[in-house]
This record gives sequence, structure tokens and C-alpha cells, in this order.
Amino acid sequence: MLKTEELQINIGPQHPSTHGVFRMIVTVDGETITDLKPVFGYLHRNHEQIAEVNTYLQNMPYTDRLDYFNSMANNHAYALAVEKLVGIEVPERAEYLRVLMVELTRILNHAGALGFLINDMGAWQTQLAFGMREREKILDLFESASGARLMCNYFRFGGVARDLPPDFMPRLKDLLIAMPAFVDEMERLLRENEILLQRSENIGILPKEVAISYSVTGPMLRASGVPYDIRKAEPYSIYDRFDFDVPIGAVGDVYDRILVRIEEMRQSKRIIEQIIQQLPDAQGGHINPKARQNVRPPAGDVYARVETPKGELGFYLVSDGSLKPYRYKVRAPSFINLTPLGDMCRGYKVADVVVILGSIDIVMGEVDR
Amino acid sequence: MDIQRGNIIVMDRRRGKLRAGQGLLQGLKVVWDHWIGSFRKNENFSQIHGTFTIEYPDERMKLPQAYRNMPVLIYDDETGHELCTACYQCARACPPEVIHITQAKDPNTGKMVPASLEFIIEYDACMSCGLCAEACPFDAIKMDHFFELATDDRMGLLQRKADLNRPISYYTTIAPDLWDEVKEGAMKKLQGSIKRRPGVIGIAGHLSDKIAARRRELEAEAAAAPPAPADAAPAAPAGKLSPEEKAAKLAAMRAAKAGGAAPAAEAPAPAPELSPADAKAAKLAAIKAANAAKKAAEASAAEAPAAPVDEKAAKLAAIRAANAAKAAAAEAPAAPVDEKAAKLAAIRAANAAKAAAAEAPAAPVDEKAAKLAAIRAANAAKKKSE
Ligand code: SF4
Ligand code: SF4
Repeated sequence: MLKTEELQINIGPQHPSTHGVFRMIVTVDGETITDLKPVFGYLHRNHEQIAEVNTYLQNMPYTDRLDYFNSMANNHAYALAVEKLVGIEVPERAEYLRVLMVELTRILNHAGALGFLINDMGAWQTQLAFGMREREKILDLFESASGARLMCNYFRFGGVARDLPPDFMPRLKDLLIAMPAFVDEMERLLRENEILLQRSENIGILPKEVAISYSVTGPMLRASGVPYDIRKAEPYSIYDRFDFDVPIGAVGDVYDRILVRIEEMRQSKRIIEQIIQQLPDAQGGHINPKARQNVRPPAGDVYARVETPKGELGFYLVSDGSLKPYRYKVRAPSFINLTPLGDMCRGYKVADVVVILGSIDIVMGEVDR
Repeated sequence: MDIQRGNIIVMDRRRGKLRAGQGLLQGLKVVWDHWIGSFRKNENFSQIHGTFTIEYPDERMKLPQAYRNMPVLIYDDETGHELCTACYQCARACPPEVIHITQAKDPNTGKMVPASLEFIIEYDACMSCGLCAEACPFDAIKMDHFFELATDDRMGLLQRKADLNRPISYYTTIAPDLWDEVKEGAMKKLQGSIKRRPGVIGIAGHLSDKIAARRRELEAEAAAAPPAPADAAPAAPAGKLSPEEKAAKLAAMRAAKAGGAAPAAEAPAPAPELSPADAKAAKLAAIKAANAAKKAAEASAAEAPAAPVDEKAAKLAAIRAANAAKAAAAEAPAAPVDEKAAKLAAIRAANAAKAAAAEAPAAPVDEKAAKLAAIRAANAAKKKSE
């Protein structure tokens, strides 16, 4: 037997496949990973402290910059937290608009995430380009409603910033026609592809128990076989009004994560279809006219969470009765989902690290804050 | 495990029964379809094939009305008046605190006017959140659609009022529906603030000929109108005395003569507003302020005999004021080269004059008489300006 020596190498922080400035200290024995330590903090920008010198509303645009793929979902979590703290009612129509935006966000996030994952596997831009094109359509819709593609800043306490423009609904309906075709096509391209199967099947397995003990959430947890979705487990907003399924994986490897995400896009489309049906009957305007934006919540604390495309995003706010939050804490799904990376990578090859990392679907803006 | 309104579905890992290589071919077919599709144009959102490229910058996407890039200030095409009333709501709403406002003052009375003197937005730090536009109760600040802001000059991104002003007619081209929603209220509020803006205050400083003409007209009017210590020396051309300056001087003299120490203090008030470029004018203003202060002091001293008890105190105050003014005046010409110093001296002189004026009326026992005189002087000045 040949005696080999362990070697420590750095992947990142400046590396094209680390999805931002992220560093992994990898110990390898030949090609096999014996240990991996994730190191984060390179994109730290004092988000939580800045939030404590801002007023409550001023934090809304900052939450966009957490997970910049899903600014709408971030807005939702933050708006829910403040509304819970102050006790603001949200009109029905506003709730529908919110859920509509968040589900569109889920589709665009998964379209992008899968594209990047395939890109990490070496298929370069093929699936990414297809996914980005669908994402662009959704961003166009966001732009027409909120004024911006990425930093939407669309949610306000008690509703959303403005109602949908007249050309929104026709375009959304067109998009829903395209969506199944896009998802089916994506499945045809990926699902049975032998190269993809070799790169993803039984790679980066995260067993159920380990996932739970790391408090992993979102598609990652579901791919490991835990049917936990906050939209079902603790329905917030109006999620109890929609029929949709929760996909789970059987093995918990990279392949399952791909499958779960593909199915979630279908489920999100189902929700959007139900929204389109129910929206015309919804009561109230896009915002509660009595809701003040310059809120001064009573002293107390609150935790509100939502199921973003990446997992459980929670905001913990402590108010001392002033105009600014006394403490502002973000429970970021990307950050917590990233922590078991070492466990997932151990025993696999160096080339798998990048794929496993891609399958977690992280955004460094949220990991480091 | 059961869930409400839905099922848990375990993903099927192997659906198709494909032979080796067939999966790859299936995928290649997808890519092939896209390649074939790329020869025609993608028409709308329902299609997933076809090119949807827009050849920027030759072609441009139509931006939605709600699109927001950077905030701009809007003004009325007709009157040239800016909608902004310097209420500071936007500055308070702005998360990165990049809006800086100075409110305009009425040079006549020293009171605040609902208009901004300067309005600065640091475009380089603005996060385009749009909260300023939402907070503005006068619909004076709106989000522009212009996005080609790339520059190698960072300080150029510090946008002043002159750079930020856009006419309503421009805003209606980019967001007609949004403007229609707020138009009525905004214009009504604008009429209200126009009434409270004297002279050219609040009128956009440049741009269309019409507004320039209107500005000139208003300026001429102000110049023609006698006394009103009002337009005293607003950035006078160096060297010659402008009609306004003359009027100001006259007013200052007259006010001083009338015994009202108060107007004398006001006359030099506009001095700090001088454009820093006009060092000479600043000097002039400083001297004028000193003179006015002297006169005011003299006048109050002259009046003092009416109340012989406090004669001494009044005289003392007058002398002190005169000295202070003199000192200030002496300082002013000492630094004619340095613009800043000149301005500073002018401000100092004005302050000294003010202080003197504040001190002077305290002296005479015959307070009532003095007050009366002051009011009378003010009235006379007002009448003349009307
Ligand atoms: S858009 Fe936002 S960041 Fe920019 S000036 Fe307005 S409030 Fe401030
Ligand atoms: S732009 Fe609007 S909010 Fe800002 S100071 Fe002017 S009037 Fe007030």
C-alpha cells in the first residue's frame, strides 16, 4: 500500500465557483476530502448594526440586499415581523399580491440556482442561459410593479408599495403558459442526463438526522426527506388558502436537491394560478390606509419567519418603544444551510465540493450580512 | 405524516427507462430546439424559444413607469416654481442619509420661505430605494428613469439643485399615469407655496427661456420697487453698485434715520447669501453693514435724550456697537483676496451689527417710543415696497 500525505488547500475566497467571496480550507488525501472548514465573513457589511440606527421603514431596502436573488421574500419576512410587533392589519388584496410576488421569487430563484449548479458541474452556460431567460421575464414583472428588478423594496407595513400596473396580469398569464414548458424542458435536459447523474447521484448525502441537527431548512432539508415547509407547518399570510404539495427527496444527495427544486417550481406555479383565480374577489386595496409607515412599536420583541426559496428566513426584532429597533437579528437560511458543508463533503472528491456547494444554493450577501 | 391542503410527494428518482446515452441525446434535442428557435424573434412571455435580445444601446427597452433609478426634483413649466418646499421629509426618510437641504430665507424678514436654497443628493451613495419620493408630501421629488450615470468623476455625482431640476413636462413623458394620480393635489399645494415665496425664491435657476424671462421680470420688478431692504445686494456684480444695492443702502439709511435699530440689522442680513465668487461685493456688503450699524447706533443714541435717565447706557451701547461694526469693517478689507475670509468678515459684520441693534434698543427707557418708531419705519418700508 502506498503511503500518502495529507495536504491542506484553500478554495476561495476569490474563486469563480464559490458563489461570492467564500473560503474553504480543504484537507485532501490525494483527491479525497478528509476535512473541510468553511470560512465566511468576507462580505460582512454590518447589516444588523446598521439596522439598529435606521428607522423601521428604512430597513426595508436593506433587507433587499440580504439575499439579492429574493428581495421580495426578504421584504415579506421583515414586513411580517414589524406588523406582528406593531399590530398592523394587512388587507386581503395586499396579502395576495405579497404571496404572488414571493412565489414568483421562488420560481426565479430555483431557475437561477439550478442554472448555476449545472454551471458548476461544467455544463457551462446552457441551462443557466435558459433559466436566466425565464428569470428575466419575472424580473420584468417585478420591475413594472415595484420599480426595480432586484432591489424591489416593494413591501410596506400593512401592504405593498403600489398596486399592480395594468399590463401586469396579461403578462403574468403569458408567463404561466411558458412556465410548464420551461420546467418540462429543463427536466428533459437534466433529469436523465448521464453526465449529470454521475456528478450528482449519491454525492453530498446529507442524512435526515444530520440535517435536522444542523437546523438546515428549505429545499435542502426536504431533499433529505423531511417534509418541513413553514408554509404548511405554520401557515403565515394566506398560505392556508392554497393547495400545493411538498416534494421531498429519498436519499438527500445533490440529485434529490435538483429534483425537489424542479418540483417546487411546479408547485409555485400552482399557487400562482390559484392566486389569479382568487385575486379579483379579494377585499381591500394594496395597502392598509391606516397603517403608518413611520412606526413606533411598543416595547417588546418578536420573531417572524417565512419560507424563502432557500429556507427559513426569520427576523428577530426587539423594540424599546422608540423609532428604531433596539436589536435586529436575521436568521439567514443560506448561512445555516452552509454550516454542514464539511460533513457533506467528507469522503468525496475535490471536484464534488463545488457541486455540493452549488446544490446548497447560497447567496453570500445573506451568509455574511 | 399528513399536511393540510396538499400531499407530500417523494421525488421519483428514475422515471424513464432509458438506455445508456439516451438521456444525453434527449438533452441535446433541447439545445437543438433552442438553436433552431434562435432564428426568429421571441414575441411575448408565453414563448420560451426565440431570441429576445435587445441591441442596447441602439435599441432600448421601454421602461415601466414605476421604474426608479435616481431621484430628481421637479418644477412647474409654467411658472418655473419648484414644487419642493424644503420640508425635510425626504431627508428624514432617506436610509443612507444622502439628501442635504438648506431652506431659503426671505431677505426682507429673515423668515423661512417654503422653498429650498440648496438641495444636494449624493448620487454615489443613493441606493435608489425610492423612499424619498414616497415620503414627499408635495410630490416634488420623483424617481428618474435615466440610468447611464457612469462617470470617472466621483464628485460629479454630487448633484446640486441645478443638476436635479427637471420640468414636469419631462416627468410626464416618463411616468404619465403616476403624475396624473397626484397632479391635482401637487399643483394645489404648489399654488399655496408660491404665494409665500417672495421675489425669485423657489424658481428654478436655469433652463427654459420662458422661465428665464420670468425671472428677469421679477428681478426687474424687485429692482424698480423702491426701498424694501429686501433685495439688498444679492450677488452684485463686482465694482458698480447695482440698483438693488443702491436701494438697499437707501433703505438702510432711511431705516437707521427713522430710529428703528431693528431694520438696520436686517439690511446686512443678505450678506451671507453672497456668492463666494464676489469677494468685492462681500467687502462692499461688509462696509455697508458696518455703516448701517453705525447709523443705527447713532440714531438710537440720538433718540436716547428722550429718556435722559439711561442716557449713558444708551450712548455706551451705541459706541460699543459702532466699534464692533468698525472692527468688523476693518477686518473685511484686510482680506480682499481670500473669498472665504471676505465672506466671513461680512457675516461677522452682520452679526456685530445685529448684536449692536439688539443692544441698542435695550438702552432707552422710553422703550415704547423706540418700538413705535421701529414699527413705523417697518411700515413705511413695506408701503414703499408695495
Ligand atoms: S432613493 Fe432612497 S437612498 Fe436615494 S435619495 Fe431617495 S431615499 Fe435616499
Ligand atoms: S423634496 Fe419633498 S419631501 Fe423633500 S424637502 Fe422638498 S417638499 Fe419636502
